[in-house]
Parts: sequence; structure tokens; C-alpha cells
Amino acid sequence: MDSGTLSGIITVAFIVVFIGIVWWAFSTRNKQRFEEDARLPFEDDDDLPAKQGDKQ
Amino acid sequence: MEATTYNYKVVRQFAIMTVVWGIVGMLVGLILASQLIWPDLTFGIEWLSYGRLRPLHTNAVIFAFGGSAMFAVSYYIVQRTCQVRLWAEKLAAFTFWGWTAVIVLAAVTLPLGITTSKEYAELEWPIDLLITVVWVSYALVFFGTIIKRKTKHIYVSNWFFGAYILVIALLHLVNSAELPWILGGSTSAWYKSYSAYAGVQDAMVQWWYGHNAVGFFLTTAFLGMMYYFIPKQAGRPIYSYRLSVVHFWSLNFIYMWAGPHHLQYTALPDWAQSLGMVFSLMLLAPSWGGMMNGIMTLSGAWHKLRTDPILKFMVTALSFYGMSTFEGPMMSIKTVNALSHYTEWTIGHVHSGALGWVAMITIGSMYYLIPRLFGRESMYSTKLIEWHFWFSTIGVVLYIASMWIAGVAQGLMWRAANPDGTLTYSFAQVVATMHPFYGIRLAGGALFFGGMLMMAYNVWQTVRAGRVVNDAPIPQAVHA
Repeated sequence: MDSGTLSGIITVAFIVVFIGIVWWAFSTRNKQRFEEDARLPFEDDDDLPAKQGDKQ
Repeated sequence: MEATTYNYKVVRQFAIMTVVWGIVGMLVGLILASQLIWPDLTFGIEWLSYGRLRPLHTNAVIFAFGGSAMFAVSYYIVQRTCQVRLWAEKLAAFTFWGWTAVIVLAAVTLPLGITTSKEYAELEWPIDLLITVVWVSYALVFFGTIIKRKTKHIYVSNWFFGAYILVIALLHLVNSAELPWILGGSTSAWYKSYSAYAGVQDAMVQWWYGHNAVGFFLTTAFLGMMYYFIPKQAGRPIYSYRLSVVHFWSLNFIYMWAGPHHLQYTALPDWAQSLGMVFSLMLLAPSWGGMMNGIMTLSGAWHKLRTDPILKFMVTALSFYGMSTFEGPMMSIKTVNALSHYTEWTIGHVHSGALGWVAMITIGSMYYLIPRLFGRESMYSTKLIEWHFWFSTIGVVLYIASMWIAGVAQGLMWRAANPDGTLTYSFAQVVATMHPFYGIRLAGGALFFGGMLMMAYNVWQTVRAGRVVNDAPIPQAVHA
């Protein structure tokens, strides 16, 4: 196999991987999962003293 | 017993040192900018000569300022989004003292002229070994914390931090492969070493390292910062988490191959130059995808930009990120590179990224973080943040605009030839043309530095009126 064929195969493989990632990220099956993940920074109490004071 | 609070001590230490090293690094930058205008400024003292201070400036702003900021935010974000206390806290404490020791050693050895002469990797082998130990400890603390997380998934910021930690380890180990002179039997200058690579291979390894230092240290890492602090400060989740997933994989994959664009028209094989150019052009897509993802997070909350200077810092940082990631691919095109390379344009490009993107997203994040680490609701003075914002923005604009004009003029003058083939301009004529632009650059840099002094005062007052927070609670009920 010459290097041209090899680079062709690698290029196609990378395109397939990329399409796979896009498909995985945007498939409706994973919609809810990613929406939950996006809220991860907000699951925590914001550690501002006013809020902490409320609880004490 | 399971920990009920987060470890803020190490975050606090790194956050304060971020401000300190920012001021030190930028001050050295100001001295360098002045030396270009007044070459005799430092009275010919060799330790303060341009060639020795320049690596001190780059190391201080990248690894001391940027590095401390990254340690601070990655330790903060990984704890809060994994909802656990740091793993191996003693090791985390060691990363602070170890990293600070590296910085101090750099500040001593570089002015002494002890250098490997590899750009952004100038530190000699004993310091390289210390960096390796600190970095492995960092990786253990970070990934250890990820492993013991209480949340189901890993938030996207942590993906970016993880990639940054792994790739920097790889880059450091490969590029710093060197042979200490002492192994050759010499006892004088025992700290001296020689690169394991020679010739064009050395150049290629160096710029594979150099560009990925930009890619993974100054971009991937700071995007992790952006993906946490912009949503937090805007009070809404990231515009598209799914886009951030695609952003992560495509950006990191493509960045890895862009290094050869630093070696256009050199002894590097032609195909490698073209490869570097093509990958650099492709980088535009994930870079702008990420930028838009950050900016669109504000959709529906644009009014906050009017009143919130912290958000202004973050959004302006993204705008500069967008500008410099458009400019970079353009400069990698061989014909453009033929004009831009080795000119002031490159310096302008770097600072549009370093001051506009890296420093401004860091400053915004620190203004978010520092009150929280010291039990205050906000910084001592919001007005002063607003002033800082305008000083920084005007400073960057002056800096990059002057360097664009200077760089293009420089490139055009260098290549101008008379009909008989001789050069139209002597080198000294080109230097003289640069003079006014060096002045404008210094003014821009001084404005940016002035803003950092305001920040230092603001932080000082905030810390003085605050209390050290070591009891930030970890939420006990976990959903998701």
C-alpha cells in the first residue's frame, strides 16, 4: 500500500469518527442527558455569603 | 468520615498568586517594550538585557500567571461540578509550593542566562524534572477527584482541563528530552543540557510543542474556564452543551497538527508545511463554534452586559478569542505568512490572544472567584472593575492595532526590491519606521498594566474586609 492510499484511508476514518461524534452529540436519545449535564454548575449552592447566611 | 466542605485553601493560594504573577509578568513586558524604544534603558546590565528578560516575560505570563489561574479554577471547578472535596489534598498543596518553586527558579535562572534556548521551554533540566513531578501530582489530584465524583457525568469544563493536563504532560516530556552535560563528564555548568533532537527535527518538535502550548495551555484550558464561569456569571446554562461536546473533540484533535505553520518556508519538508497550514485553517471551525457557544449563552440576558463589568470582561475575551482565531489561520496561509512571519504582526497576534483572550477571561473569572473564596458577596469596588475593563480593552486595542500596522509595514519594507534586485530599504531604516509604533504599543501595554494594579488594590481591599472561607458546603442530596 502506498502512502497515498494510506492517507486516504486515514482521512476517511477520521471523517467517520467526526460524524460519529456529531451524531452522538446531537441524537435525540442523548438530548436529555446533555441538558442535565449543562445544568451541573447550577446543582450546587452558589457560595455567596448571603445565601449561606440564610441557611444558618 | 466523608468530607462535607470543599478545599478552598489551594484555590485561594493560586488565585492570589495569579494576580501577583500577572503584575510581575506584565511589568517585565513593559520593560521589554521600553527597551525597544530606549535600548540603553537598563544601562547594559547583562541580567536585564532584552534577550534574558524576554523569556522571563513569556514564562511569567504563560506559566506563572496563566498557570496559577488554571490551577485555581480547575481545582475549584472540578470540586464543585463533581460535588466532592479534592482527592489527595497534601499532593494538591504540594502542587502549589512546587509550581511556585518552579516560577522562582525560572525568575533566577533566566536572567542569569541559564537557558536551553527552546522557546517557552527555556528552563534547564533540573527545573524540567521538578515540573514533571509537579505536573504528575496535578494530574493525580485532578483525575483522582474526577474518579471519586458524586455526579453521574463529567462537566464539559473538566473534559477541557483533562485534555490540557494530559497534553501538557506529553508536550513537556517529548520536547524537553535532553542530555545533561554532566553525563558527558563535564562538572562545570552541570545544569547545562542539549536537546535530544537535531536540525529540522529539533525545529519540528519545538514548534509542535510551541503551538500546542498555545493550543492546550492557553486555549483548551481557558475554554474550560469559559464553559464554567460564563454560564455562572450570566446565570444560565451554556447555550448548547451538545455543541461543546463537538467543540471539545474537534478542537483538540485539530490543534495537535497545526505546529508546522511556525516553520513555513524553512527546511521543513513542503508537505509538512502545507499540512500545518491546512490544519490551521480547519481550526477556524471549532474555534468559532466555541466562541459562538459562549456568546450565545447570553441570549436573553444581553442587558446584563450593560451593568456587569465581570460579564463584560468575559464576553470581550470571547470576542478577542474570535478575532485571534480568525487571524491565526489567515496568517498560517503560506502567502500571508511570507509577509507576516518574523514581523511585529506576529507579536500583535500573540497579544490579541494572550491579553485579549487569556488575560481577560482570567481577570473576569478571578473577579467572580475571589469574593467567594473570601466570604464576600462581591469585590470591594465594582466601579473599579469597570475602570479596569476599559483600561484593558483600550490597552489591547492600542497594542494590536499598532503592531498590525508596524508588522505589515515591516514585511512590505523587507521584501521591497529595486529594479536591479537590490533591497530598497536597509534594516536600520525599517527599525526607524517601527519607532512610533513601539511608543503606541508601550502606551497600550501600560494601560493594561495599570488595570492590573487596580485589580491588585481591589483584591487587597476585598481580602482585607473578608474572611477566609473553608466551610463551603458540599451539597448532600445529589440528583442526576
